[in-house]
Parts: sequence; structure tokens; C-alpha cells
Amino acid sequence: ALSTTEQIRKIRELPVSFEEKKHDVYLCVLLCCLLLLQSMRRFGYSIKSARQTLQLWQGIMKEIGGKFGSSVLNYFVLLKWLLLFNIFSFLVNFGFITIPLLVYDLSLNVSPNVSFRGLELLTGAGYFNYTIMYYGSYSNETIRGLVDYDMQLAYFFTISVYMVLCGLVLIFSMASSFKKNYALADPASNSAWQLLCSWDFSITNEKAVNQRKNNLRIQLKESLSEKAHRERQTTSEQLKQYGIYFGSWLLSTGLAAGCGASIFYLYTETWSALKEAETLLVPFVVSLMNMVIPLFFSLFNKFEQYSSQRKQIYALLFRNVLLRISILGVLCYYWMNTVPQKFTCWEPMVGQALYRLVIVDFIFLMLGSLFGEFLSNVIGTKIQPRLGVPEFDVARNVLEIIYAQTLAWIGIYFSPLLPVIQILKFFILFYLKKVSLTHNCQPPRRSGRAAQMKTIFIFLLFFPFFVGALSIVAYTSWRLTPSEQCGPFRGLNSTFSVTGEWIDHVNNNSSNHWVGWIYQNVIRSEIFYFLSTLIILVIIYIFWQLIQGRKQLIVLLRRQIINVSLNCPPE
Amino acid sequence: MTFLTKQEILLAHRRFTELLEGDERNHPNPRVPMDVILTLTELKSNPFKKRICQVFSTSENRDGSLTFEDFLDLLSAFSDSATLEIKSHYAFRIFDFDDDGTLDYGDLEKLVNCLTGETADTRLSSEEMRQLISNILDESDIDKDGTVNLSEFQHVISRSPDFVSSFALFLFYPVFSVPNDAILHCFI
Repeated sequence: ALSTTEQIRKIRELPVSFEEKKHDVYLCVLLCCLLLLQSMRRFGYSIKSARQTLQLWQGIMKEIGGKFGSSVLNYFVLLKWLLLFNIFSFLVNFGFITIPLLVYDLSLNVSPNVSFRGLELLTGAGYFNYTIMYYGSYSNETIRGLVDYDMQLAYFFTISVYMVLCGLVLIFSMASSFKKNYALADPASNSAWQLLCSWDFSITNEKAVNQRKNNLRIQLKESLSEKAHRERQTTSEQLKQYGIYFGSWLLSTGLAAGCGASIFYLYTETWSALKEAETLLVPFVVSLMNMVIPLFFSLFNKFEQYSSQRKQIYALLFRNVLLRISILGVLCYYWMNTVPQKFTCWEPMVGQALYRLVIVDFIFLMLGSLFGEFLSNVIGTKIQPRLGVPEFDVARNVLEIIYAQTLAWIGIYFSPLLPVIQILKFFILFYLKKVSLTHNCQPPRRSGRAAQMKTIFIFLLFFPFFVGALSIVAYTSWRLTPSEQCGPFRGLNSTFSVTGEWIDHVNNNSSNHWVGWIYQNVIRSEIFYFLSTLIILVIIYIFWQLIQGRKQLIVLLRRQIINVSLNCPPE
Repeated sequence: MTFLTKQEILLAHRRFTELLEGDERNHPNPRVPMDVILTLTELKSNPFKKRICQVFSTSENRDGSLTFEDFLDLLSAFSDSATLEIKSHYAFRIFDFDDDGTLDYGDLEKLVNCLTGETADTRLSSEEMRQLISNILDESDIDKDGTVNLSEFQHVISRSPDFVSSFALFLFYPVFSVPNDAILHCFI
């Protein structure tokens, strides 16, 4: 018997007609294509399995999802997502802004009488002030090398492109999440089918399964009695209900406003005291307020009785968001208005203030985990068994990491390497929360609505937190004068004018006059934005009418199904 | 056609062979009886464990015994990447306790009892059950024939965004023989 190669050679040597030779060629080509496709498919599978092994924390997340359900898993998924945002930000900032600075050694020299003490890690001032951590150390020169690398343009465009990309990612994920979980989902809040179909098949713990069965039974009974309850309230009871709502909303808004005012007062009193340890007072008070005031809000919530549990969660979330936004708003107002007048080199000052906020916030997050979960567990199991094991408060924890990420987003302009701190913070926080969860908490009593809560969280992340951070950065680069002595934009009227200068430069040097024309008449003209807004509004109105028409169509089709089944029933 | 990755199939094979007795391992296509399958930790506490085995079993007398292929079908239908249609199809078959192709009053009653508790003090009262099932049928029975058929079930499921993530089962790695890729999981 001949070997395969010998056989092929012998076949080749046989005299064949021209058509048969062509056939052989076609067959050969076909075989080659098939082999290529098969190897590409194998390559695709190996990439997929490699990607699975490299996915961060996948095993831990599956374990958490199995034991605690998807509402708790949402917190960890969001934490991982924000961590990826920060890793991307760090890579981009370090690559485009810091590395050219380090390579060409353009940073400011450290003053000789400032050395590293331990306190800098907490306050961010002192030795850190002269490092690449803050805006102040970046240069405004143009590096002449293989290509002309303009540091000013690099700084401006890196930050703005990163923020725009973040915004786009948030908008797309918010829209797709909204479509999946709101538009296509069942509008009834705890309909029986939703509860039955959301049974989690991946729970393996016997006790957890029994607990879930218990909770489901309670929820089913509640859904049956809710309808009855709503019809049973008298007018006087309703009036009393509204009175309680009004009172607690007034109290909550008052608390939030009071916190904002006191932070402003505290800031104006202590900013002048530049002794390092005292600058930690304001971040300490801010974090303390963020930890304590939500407890008051939960207390108010207990007195009010909302008709559905979902409305209760939304009310609590709204109040917490209001508190944090008012505190952040007051801080940003102070930074934008008062700080530029007080200091010559003001951007690093703001950067340091943000650094302190981030660090103290991290310390309080760890303390909060200790008090919120560990101590509650000890109290609930040993001292006061009636309270029971605590549940993991998803809404509060999610709001904490959204707030932490907002601080980082505001801080990127003033301190390009702040994402490093944020990466470390979120990394440690993940493991801390995971350990605390598994040791101290029980699975949530009420199941369901995890997907809708995820949509709400992404929406909150976008508005008002990301939008707020973006507007602060935009206001800084548009309206505020950069400091004269330090930073990449020294000597300019506003940060945004780098683009104007660059366009002029491009216009004058080359024959691409259309670039200048586009810049002047499209990007800087108001009429373009006015017209495009008008067109978009008209399109939105048309789509809205289309949706109304579709809704009517659905009603008609349902009626038709009933008619068809009545007239010709199935066998 | 399976939704499992190569790693998941290998893990499933390892767990399946652990269930076999010594002499059965040499059998070309071993079939594991239902009570042995139900000793798996992932299935032990599931309220639908018996129905799951019965649905995926290909034995002639539908006694719930599974071959390795049946086991893979089971894991594939419950995996992360299975589509909504596959999952809703199998969920319908699992909830159809009398295997008649529709979910009638008896099936729905058994479903609710499975999920709320079997003992006398944990069940819903008959009045509550009647009210609950009438609510369910109001929501999902579009052609008003008193039963929920497959398309009505799939319609209700498609409006429930939590279903895909909750209708899932994962095999855990065995404690003492962790493959190298799993070690990589922990440290990356």
C-alpha cells in the first residue's frame, strides 16, 4: 500500500483531460477554503475561551449571584464596570499626557526643602504638590521630535475625548437597558407571573431555598391583598397619608439644604487655615454626613406607607441623591468661584481637595461596611435576635460607588492621575464587600425587579452624576481663567482657546481652509445648534406619535386573538 | 448543538463520571438513574429537580434517568448563553406537570405549591390559590381558553427581563481537584 503522498503523486501523474484538471483545481481551492474556515473557527473558539479565563472575577460573581440573587449581583457588576472605566482613564491619561512629560523631563522641579512625610498620603498636599499627580506640574510646551507633540492640545483633547466616550458608553447602555427592562417589560409591578418566573434556579443552598420559598409566599399574599387595600382607604386616612408624605419630604429637603449650607460655611472658615491636618476637616464632615443622614431618611421611610415597595425604594433613592448632589454642588460652587481668586496656582488646590475627598470617602466606606454590616450582624444575632441577620442594602451601596466615581470624574481635569487611586480603591472595595457579604448578610427577602433597578442605577450614574461632572469640567475649561504660573494652559484666557489657536495655526499653515471654515461656521455658530435641536425635536415628536399608533395596534390585535379563538376553538 | 464551552463540557464530564459506579464507567453510554443525579449539589435543593430530570430524560419509560448527552442538554439549556426561546421552551415543559402540552389549573396549582412550600402550614389557602391562579390566567391567557399554551407562556416570559438570568444553573468546580484554568480565575 502506498502512502498518501505517494498516492497523490501517482494520481497527479495520470494523464487527465483539461476539464478534469480544472475540476481538480476547483476541488483543491474548495478544500483549502474549508480548511481555512475550520482553522478560523478553532481560533475563534480559543479566543472565546481565553477571554473567559481572563474575565475578571467571573467565578466570584457567579458564586455571589447563586447565593444572593441578581439584585445584589448588580452592585458588583456595576463596581466592575466602573473599575474598567477607571483603568481606561488611567491608561489614556498616563499614555498621552504623563509619559511624554516624563520622557522629555519637562515637569517642574521639586523645591529642595519639601520632603516626603507620611501625611501626604492623606492630604495630597506637600510633596505630592510638585509631582505629576496634579495639573500644576504639566508643561505647556510643544515637543519637537519626530512629530510636533503639543502638550496643551494633548491635555485638553485627552480629557475631553475620554469624557465624551464615557458619556456615549453610558447613553448607549442606558438606552439598551431601558429598552429591555422598561419598554418591553410588564408594566404591572408585582404580578404573579413575574414572581413565579423569577425563581432563581441557581440557588443551591437548602436554607436559602427555603427562605426564598417563604419570601415568595409572603410576596404572593401581598400582591393578592394589595388590590384590596387600595380600595379600602377612607378620605381621612388618605389626607393623613398625604400629610405624612408632605412632612417627610419637607424634612428631607431641609436636611439636604442644611447640610449644603453648613459645608459652605465650614469651607469658608477653614480654607484659610493651611495647616495640613486641618484641611482634612471638611472631607471628614462631608463623609460623615453622607453616612449618617441616609439613616434619617430610612427612618422617615418607615413612618410613611407607600402603596408599592417600588415607590418606597424610589423615594429613598431620590432623597439620598438629593443630599449628595446638594453637598457636591456646594463644594463645586466654592471651587469654581472662590478658589481661583484666592490662589495663583488654583487648579492643583482643587485637585488636592478632591484627592482628600476620595481618600476620606474610602476610609468611611470601609468604616461603613464595618458598622453597617459587621456590627449589625453581631447585634442581630447575639444581642437582639429579633432584628435578625442584616440584608445587603444594594441601593445605598450603589449610590456610594456612584458618588465615588463622580468625584473621580470631576477630578480628572485637575489631577490626571487620580484614576490610579480610584482603581486601588475599587479593587480593595470589591474584596472587602464580598467578604462582608458572605460573612454578615443574608439574601434579600424580596425578590424581583433586579433588572429594573439596574436600569435606574445606570440612569442615576448618567444623570445627575456624570452630567454634573461633565458640566463642571466644561465650565472650568470654558469660563475660568487658567492660572498664570503653572499648568499646561498658563497664559491663555481660557482652556478652550487652545482649539481656537490650533485651528488658526492649521488654517494659516496649510491650504486646508475648509477646516477653519467648518470651525467658525459650524462648531462655533449658534444657529447650527439651534437648527439641529429643532430638527431633533420634530423627529422625537414623530416617533412619539408612531409609538401611540403601535399601542393602539396592540389593543386591536389582542381583541382579534380573542375573537379568533372564540370562533374557532382549538381541538 | 450546545451552548456550553469546551471547559464547561469537560467539567460536566468529570462530574458525570463521578456519579457512575466502578463497572459502569466502562459502559459505552452509561445511563444514570434519577436518584443518583439528584445527589448533585446543584440539583439537590432545587424545587423542580424531579421535573427537570424527567424533561431531559430520553429513556423510553421517562423515568428521569440521564445519559451524558442528556446531561449536556440539561446544562446547555440552563447555561448563560442559551437563548430566550430555548429557555422558555424548556421552562414550559418543566412547569407542565401532566405533560399535556398546556398549563391548566392543575399544573399552575402544582407550580405554586412547588414554589411556596409543600407542608400544610406553608401552603396558600384554597381561596387564595383560586384568586392567584385567576390573576395568572387573566394576565397571560390571551385567547381565554382557560389554559396557558406555549406561545402565551413565551409571550409572558418575553416581558419578564429577569427570567433569562434566573433560569440558569452552574456546575461548581470540585473542591480538591481544581484545574489550572480555575486557579487562573481566582488570581486574575
